[in-house]
Amino acid sequence: MTMDRRNFLQLAAMASASAATTSTDLPKYRVVSRFAPAPKPGMPGPFPGKAVRVHAEKSVDTATGNIDAPTVIEMLSRGMCSLTGAKTEPDAWAHFFNANDVVGIKVNCSGAPKIFSAREVVGRIVDNLVALGIPARNIYLYERFQDQLTSVHYDRVVPAGTNIFAAEAGRGSIANYDPNTYVETDFFGEEDTRSNMIRLVTERFTKIINVPNMKDHGAAGVTGCLKNIAYGDFSNVARSHNREKTNTLSFIGTLAMVEPLRSRTVLQIMDGLRGVWHGGPFSENPKFRFYPKTIVFGTDPVAIDRLLLDVIENKRKSEGALSIWDRSMSAIKPGVLDPHFGSFIREPGHIEYASKLGLGVYDLQKITVTNIEV
Amino acid sequence: MMLLLAAILPALSTGPADAGAVKLPVPKVEYRINEASASRSPWINANGWQILRAPDRRYYYDVPAASPALAAAEAFMYGAKADIHTEPDGVELFNRMLQFLRGIPERGDLPTMANIGVLDDGSPETGELMNLLSRRNLIYRIVTAPDPHLDLNIRLGSEEFPKTEAANPSKLAQKIRAELTDEKRLLRVYGSEVVIARLVGASDRVRIHLLNYANRPVTGLRVRILGDYPNWQVAAYDHPDLKLEDFATADGATEFTVPQLNTYAVIDLSKRSH
Repeated sequence: MTMDRRNFLQLAAMASASAATTSTDLPKYRVVSRFAPAPKPGMPGPFPGKAVRVHAEKSVDTATGNIDAPTVIEMLSRGMCSLTGAKTEPDAWAHFFNANDVVGIKVNCSGAPKIFSAREVVGRIVDNLVALGIPARNIYLYERFQDQLTSVHYDRVVPAGTNIFAAEAGRGSIANYDPNTYVETDFFGEEDTRSNMIRLVTERFTKIINVPNMKDHGAAGVTGCLKNIAYGDFSNVARSHNREKTNTLSFIGTLAMVEPLRSRTVLQIMDGLRGVWHGGPFSENPKFRFYPKTIVFGTDPVAIDRLLLDVIENKRKSEGALSIWDRSMSAIKPGVLDPHFGSFIREPGHIEYASKLGLGVYDLQKITVTNIEV
Repeated sequence: MMLLLAAILPALSTGPADAGAVKLPVPKVEYRINEASASRSPWINANGWQILRAPDRRYYYDVPAASPALAAAEAFMYGAKADIHTEPDGVELFNRMLQFLRGIPERGDLPTMANIGVLDDGSPETGELMNLLSRRNLIYRIVTAPDPHLDLNIRLGSEEFPKTEAANPSKLAQKIRAELTDEKRLLRVYGSEVVIARLVGASDRVRIHLLNYANRPVTGLRVRILGDYPNWQVAAYDHPDLKLEDFATADGATEFTVPQLNTYAVIDLSKRSH
């Protein structure tokens, strides 16, 4: 058999996935990509097992949910300097980006307009990129769904010319996805077995910044860095859930590993100013919202998400909610927004699974956390 | 062998159905939960299986003003002799589609391509199975006896496909798909659940008919067909300048994207230039 690069990449990815699992009932994935990994892929990047957690009590007014922009600016500056060891904020950003980059900022708007990557955080990230000499036209805020993205009004906080792009103006269209970069698998007998990567990622971006929230997730257990970058960059992913079963355990890591997404995602900034401890990724009921008032910085999505597991689980425990690790069928009540029940058997193990694929450090003992108070 | 008579054009009817004509349901998409399936696939009212079952019958559509173009395209795609009755406001739409159909290049009589054979016993169960196969683009043709040249022959009531399984035609179609395997499927459609394809051709050239049953365009439709066909031509209703995108032949298959499918498109692929 002639093995071209495409075949090689498929086989390599499949071998990695199979090595990571001990279960025999995981789906079979066929990964198709023409891209080779960078010598040092962005995930886990230059700081594996490292997270910088910046907390500021005054960052959010919990009575109104309003965010204090000057405090966020300071939080971002302190976090980036601590992560990189740079003395100044421009030097910290220059650690990852230069004026020639085309940067995609993967925001999270799946809970918009109730919860989303905060405008104050995203706006300041863009300011820092522009300060490096990156033209606004080479900066993209992006999401999958137009209605969610539009509802946030990022246009109010970014310079004119900044691109605000949704892959799906009409739900279900794959016109803005790359037909040659996809993961193929059959979960439940669905007819369309492909999930394609957003075309901007393969054809335009040189770097990506991932800006997730801190949220519970009915299927994945939590939604943080990995879920946002994986399910947020591919088409046709909702097919991975059916009845109580979800394939997020293996699908999230498998998607995040696909090149060039893995190599180009160079920075993780988790916006935990506001959070959701139940009902995520949505936030229809405000009583399930909470305020960690924290931003977490790193390049290792697994390490940051490992910390998130404890944040969400501890909050749920304090509220008397079902554990995200609970797997009992008796606790499944689809469509019921009750913290004692779930819609799916949650799969918080997706984070450890991703670590076994090589996306980062899961073992808490090996994760270094720097805590900063502003 | 069933032949598609490429030049049969539907006619506009001003009155009731002729005696003996088979009245067909209005072709369309009904967005409802498909209870027989694990998925939330929309329900498509498609009539291709009925026409394939009785290609020599005369058919009659009575459709609202929004639907004569789709009905006409469906009848043309399956080579049906059809009369289409519609409301006065629908006449212009019908005529526009008719004009488009007249302009589709003639390719002669091309045989139906398929690798699944269905032994049609005329029963409602087999009819519903053919309906489900059509909707999932599992390309079949009706045979009178098992054809060893096909990858799969299906006779309801056989040991392999007992009649009891026909109670859930969606599940049965899924079983047939699994037995054939996706790798052997002659044609795949990605990016929409409301587009039905029909495939005719010979070894060196194929014609793909794509019919969008929804009332809005499908954008970015990806099509994969087994075989290397480096040359293409396309004719698309209401989109005269349509070009296929991301065209590629590799690994024994040809893939391309139809950037926008309004209602109907005909794509000719060949091993040599047209």
